[in-house]
Amino acid sequence: MMRKKINIIIDGKDYLVDEGTTILNACKEVGINIPHLCYMEDVSSNASCAICCIEVKGSKKLVRSCSYSVWADMEITTNSERIRKARKTNLELILANHPDDCLKCDRNQNCELQKLAWELGVREQHYAKTRTKILPLDTSSPSLIRDPNKCILCNRCISVCSEVQTVNAIDVTGRGLHSRVTTFMDRGLGSSVCTNCGQCSLVCPTGAIVEKSDISSIWRDIYDPDIFTVIQTAPAIRIGIGEAMGMESGALVTGKMVAGIRKLGFDRVFDTQFTADLTIMEEGHELIKRISTGGTLPMITSCSPGWIKFIEHFFPQQLANISTCKSPQQMFGALAKTWYAEQAGLDPEKIRVISVMPCTAKKYEAERPEMNSAFHYWKERKKLKNRSGFPDVDYALTTRELARMFRETGLDFAGLPEEEFDNPLGKSTGAAVIFGATGGVMEAALRTAYEVLTGTTLDKVEFADVRGMEGIKEAEIDIKGKPVRVAVAHTLKNARKLLDEIKEGKSPYAFIEVMACPGGCLGGGGQPIPTTWEIRKKRAESIYREDINLGIRKSHENPEIQALYRDFLIKPLGEISHHLLHTSYSQKSV
Amino acid sequence: MKSSKVQQIDNSLYDSIIAGYRGKPGDLLSVLEDIQTATPHSYLTEPAIRYVAEKMKVPLSRIYSVITFYSFFNLNPQGDHTVTVCRGTACHTRGSRALLADIMIKLGLNEEETGGETSYTTDDMRFTVRTVACFGQCALAPVIAVDGVIFSHMTSEKLEAIIKKLSSAKKPVRRRNP
Repeated sequence: MMRKKINIIIDGKDYLVDEGTTILNACKEVGINIPHLCYMEDVSSNASCAICCIEVKGSKKLVRSCSYSVWADMEITTNSERIRKARKTNLELILANHPDDCLKCDRNQNCELQKLAWELGVREQHYAKTRTKILPLDTSSPSLIRDPNKCILCNRCISVCSEVQTVNAIDVTGRGLHSRVTTFMDRGLGSSVCTNCGQCSLVCPTGAIVEKSDISSIWRDIYDPDIFTVIQTAPAIRIGIGEAMGMESGALVTGKMVAGIRKLGFDRVFDTQFTADLTIMEEGHELIKRISTGGTLPMITSCSPGWIKFIEHFFPQQLANISTCKSPQQMFGALAKTWYAEQAGLDPEKIRVISVMPCTAKKYEAERPEMNSAFHYWKERKKLKNRSGFPDVDYALTTRELARMFRETGLDFAGLPEEEFDNPLGKSTGAAVIFGATGGVMEAALRTAYEVLTGTTLDKVEFADVRGMEGIKEAEIDIKGKPVRVAVAHTLKNARKLLDEIKEGKSPYAFIEVMACPGGCLGGGGQPIPTTWEIRKKRAESIYREDINLGIRKSHENPEIQALYRDFLIKPLGEISHHLLHTSYSQKSV
Repeated sequence: MKSSKVQQIDNSLYDSIIAGYRGKPGDLLSVLEDIQTATPHSYLTEPAIRYVAEKMKVPLSRIYSVITFYSFFNLNPQGDHTVTVCRGTACHTRGSRALLADIMIKLGLNEEETGGETSYTTDDMRFTVRTVACFGQCALAPVIAVDGVIFSHMTSEKLEAIIKKLSSAKKPVRRRNP
């Protein structure tokens, strides 16, 4: 629908802009940037920072452009002595409540507050620091650390948690000078309904919410000659890490990423995409089994650990709908410490599996107590020297942390040669890379399920209906004359809608894909900052380009997957798969 | 079981309170107020908060936000009597600092440096001492409120007399926060 255009005057010039839009957006449309801090497109317009103030003729006070709509013939001034001074003063007041430890901050050089202070010309401290005591950090979460001292109360994290994810783990407590963002009863994220999706860390303008870093432990393991380090990279890393290393948004850098990781000193560089293909084999067959034996439908994907925690908290009655398949990260860990260890003649207790994920919830997933299948596998075979358990995946890094490790070694990332993954856990198909985009798991599953069920080859492997950034996508495919309806949701808000349908017994679908983060993993909470819709779209384009690059585009045609079934797993949903590749879920309180 | 019976009684009380405000704007505040008033020692227990969250479909984080925004709401049990000392500028210049110190010593309480409003309750749950930023009764400074009733031109002697009287009284006159 076309919106009515109205005339407004900005800095003495006439412009036609959409009626009802905010002054800030109207100015942006015509190429005038108004400095702003708490406002974030599609996330929050809290109007708390007062940086975006401008003058409107007829108004005595300065107006916050982020939350004020334009009207016909409005006269706006965006540059005056008064505006510049007010913005700078407002920012200095915010800075008076913020520590000056930029040099030691995770967000150094990637901080909106720091950047704005530089841009607005803050060069001295006019106001005395207001914090009388240092507030304790919230380190209760396995994925995230919150530092309330660095918080500027922009409310973006609260908005994203509430509006985008409908999780509501955090809110403001207290008032005035004592306002803080916190969880229920100050118990910390780790004791809350937080799904660890990390979207709050993506939208935080400062270093108040960052991932819990595992870098120092990983360096220690890399340099330990007794430890064999195996790293796996998620699909969305190859379209994210280039960005974090200063390349353009969505840069597709698979080969450079492999070369860079090898330079860090990891013993083997493998690919989570291998186990993404494996997930399709297991999940595809699980779906076929559920349909043919009258199992619980719709079946819902289980790759996204934030999503899993969400359903465990909010929809425990629907846990039977979730596929029992572990996520690709966890399938990889279980295989690396069993099948691969045996093949390579390695002591499973000396292997460290490190994953690079676009995700903060993967840290939580790796720590889930049931994710130690390899330990049980060897224990049953009485092959363990030590009796203490070990996890299948030892550390899950975010894309941002990998970039940090690259920078620590002074790597010239853009100048790296292209290298290949190691084998046998390094070969993957186009079906696996698209796991990184919303709709990708669905498309990959359809490619395999269709061919397995019909015994015929797909004419066209692309399923356009499940692609794109629409919140909920639907498709219907015809399998042997029988229509199968599927749906894809990204963000937990959209997932909640589909779950409500299931709860009411009205869900028309056989299979649903859910990814917790906007855009799917490519927009994950561990991805480079900023992550905007524009950037997400560029990352998605690269993902679908890589799908074509990989040549083989269906998981069941991956020769290494075929070999894995032949030599080890025997068949999908078989005995070994059951122990290593599948899991169960349990209700969690709210 | 005794405990489950108690739980049932509480929940039916909560249910009726919630039902009374259904569909009205600002219902959460009214519900929390009524529940706190109906709870011995005038506070909001965690089970009550969780019950309200579930029934009214309000996130726990939001309820916590509301409770901690309004100084009216208590998360800890309050004494039978509440003495609120005004720490506004007018009262301060007329000695409210000393009044606060006096009553604290009198009741055997230790003042700690905390952020925001302070609230101290005696171990025997007889008295709660609180501070407030200003009552808006500056002409009568220094003022204190005892169970919601304002006492003006307060002195240590008057205060001691009030405390003595309340200590000997069996039941609280009226329980209300400022």
